[in-house]
Amino acid sequence: MKPKRIIILGCGNILFGDDGFGPEVVQYLKENFEIPEDVDVIDAGTGVRNILFDLVLNPFKPDKVIIIDAVDIGRTPGEVFEIDISSIPSVKIDDFSMHQVPTSNLLKELKEICGVDVKVICVQVQYIPEEVKPGLSEVVKKAIPIACQRIMEELKIL
Amino acid sequence: MGERIVIQPVSRIEGHAKITIQLDDAGNVQDTWVNVIELRGFEKFCIGRPVEELPRIVTSICGVCPWSHHLASAKANDAVFGVQIPPAAKKLRELCNSIAYCEEHILHFYFLAGADFVMGPDADYSVRNVIGIAQKFPDIGKRVVRCRWLGAQMLEIVSGKSIHPVTAVPGGFSKPLTKEEVEQLKPMAQEVLDFAKFSIDYAKKNIFPQYLDTVKTLGVITTGFLGTVREDGTWDVYDGKLRMMNPDGSYVDFKYEEYTDYIAEHVEPWTYLKFPYMKKAEKIVMDIDNPVGVYRTNTLARINVCDKMPTPLAQAELEEFRKNFGRPAQLTLLYHWARLIELLANAEYVVQLLNDPEITSTDIRVPVKPRAARGVGCVEAPRGTLIHDYETDENGIVTNVNLIVGTTHNNAAINMSVKKAAKELIKGGKYDEGILNRLEMAIRAYDPCLSCATHKLDGSIPVKVTIIGPNSEIVGTLQNF
Repeated sequence: MKPKRIIILGCGNILFGDDGFGPEVVQYLKENFEIPEDVDVIDAGTGVRNILFDLVLNPFKPDKVIIIDAVDIGRTPGEVFEIDISSIPSVKIDDFSMHQVPTSNLLKELKEICGVDVKVICVQVQYIPEEVKPGLSEVVKKAIPIACQRIMEELKIL
Repeated sequence: MGERIVIQPVSRIEGHAKITIQLDDAGNVQDTWVNVIELRGFEKFCIGRPVEELPRIVTSICGVCPWSHHLASAKANDAVFGVQIPPAAKKLRELCNSIAYCEEHILHFYFLAGADFVMGPDADYSVRNVIGIAQKFPDIGKRVVRCRWLGAQMLEIVSGKSIHPVTAVPGGFSKPLTKEEVEQLKPMAQEVLDFAKFSIDYAKKNIFPQYLDTVKTLGVITTGFLGTVREDGTWDVYDGKLRMMNPDGSYVDFKYEEYTDYIAEHVEPWTYLKFPYMKKAEKIVMDIDNPVGVYRTNTLARINVCDKMPTPLAQAELEEFRKNFGRPAQLTLLYHWARLIELLANAEYVVQLLNDPEITSTDIRVPVKPRAARGVGCVEAPRGTLIHDYETDENGIVTNVNLIVGTTHNNAAINMSVKKAAKELIKGGKYDEGILNRLEMAIRAYDPCLSCATHKLDGSIPVKVTIIGPNSEIVGTLQNF
């Protein structure tokens, strides 16, 4: 039940345009970079809550969790940046089901209560379609190697 | 008389469950609407693809229950290709299905439903803290983690992957199980079974008695039920026939491919999600006092429609449940009790399959040839009956897809339960923050798939309640984001 020292989670639904950024980054990372032995690189898809739940409850914790995600917060499309988890307000439970438990809450618990170093690396989306339509926009595609560089820098920081 | 308001469907990006409550002149609840988000455009996306790609594509629909979609799609493929899969392939698929069920039901009971019981329905509704619950019950927290980890390990051994399943293929299963792997799996399965036994005993002693009053009143409605049973009426979550039961306990059985003869879909202007109803009723009426055509799926439905359970401990639990609550049981919160019976049945079934010598057979796949056909594949996802309906041309390319997911079946019932709860909670225009909690509890029992389609970090799905007065003015909003 012991997780690896560093866990990288690519989050997103590849069916919805730029929302698929996280899984694409994970794919690119595995194909183009040397991943150290003690690092787990996971395409979490839309199942990140399940993984985080188990991490929060597991008596054994990783040292670091890196989340890769796509967000829409009004920055320049294609921009890669880090979100400070502590700055995300605690959202009251909208937890009708495992489909809704706030990811942000789980990440905060991991960081603030469990002492895990949590990094959230995001890209500002250009467009997330309302209907199923896979495929990243050009600017977000270009952000993939940039995000990978950010991740590799995180791996060097111990 | 309050005005009727036309509500635009919630856009997907908005990302929340929206409850709208219409008050009449006296400040009492006249009507409610629950908007849930639908995975729009998926069917269109599949058209033009080779049908054998679908079992892998559909796992992206839902990160919480990927195995359900994977297996329903594989079964639809088998039907489209017109093949019977070898018995060992069926057992391997069932093994994966039941392991996934155990993982899911354990987590759901202890950390979603369970928190309601642990905190109580009137608890100060602050941010739910997973660690907090685990700290209150440390030993249980440890066992939950352990059993989920065991489940993930078992799925990896059987299918090579626990996330994004790929091993169910048209015609069977792509990876046989070796004797060594079976020996590895047996003690793991036993440990999960022990926890399943513990869970239902613990719940019956320490949890259910305390909140039975809430069970009896919150959001209670009277509906029919839909679930899967084997030919002989035994509960089954992988394969069988569909049984549609009326509130009076009478029922009709039908094959998967006949579902459009028994299930019709109603459309409302204020939501993209449809309202399936019993076709023989000829209409759907979501009147909580006199419902017509409404049915529910999910754990309680499956427990209601079946004649018996396939395994001895679960069978004993079913008998006790029926003695207490009758058949069909209607109380919405009994979903949680039913969930524990199912957990036990799935855990017992995993042990049973591992002790079946056929599970290591290498005859697990038959060849398939494309043809123009229609095929319906159906499984019971934890949340309800999951239907994948595919049509292909002579090259095996998809020409049409229809999906009905578990939550869609419950759409009418969710709306009715919320309306009932709202009517009880808002009288004479008076309400407080606490109603949000109770409305959520009414919805939570169904464990709906409100948004399989997105996981967004900052878009965790909140609920917004808008209360509208008799002159269409917004008298209040409550939201938890």
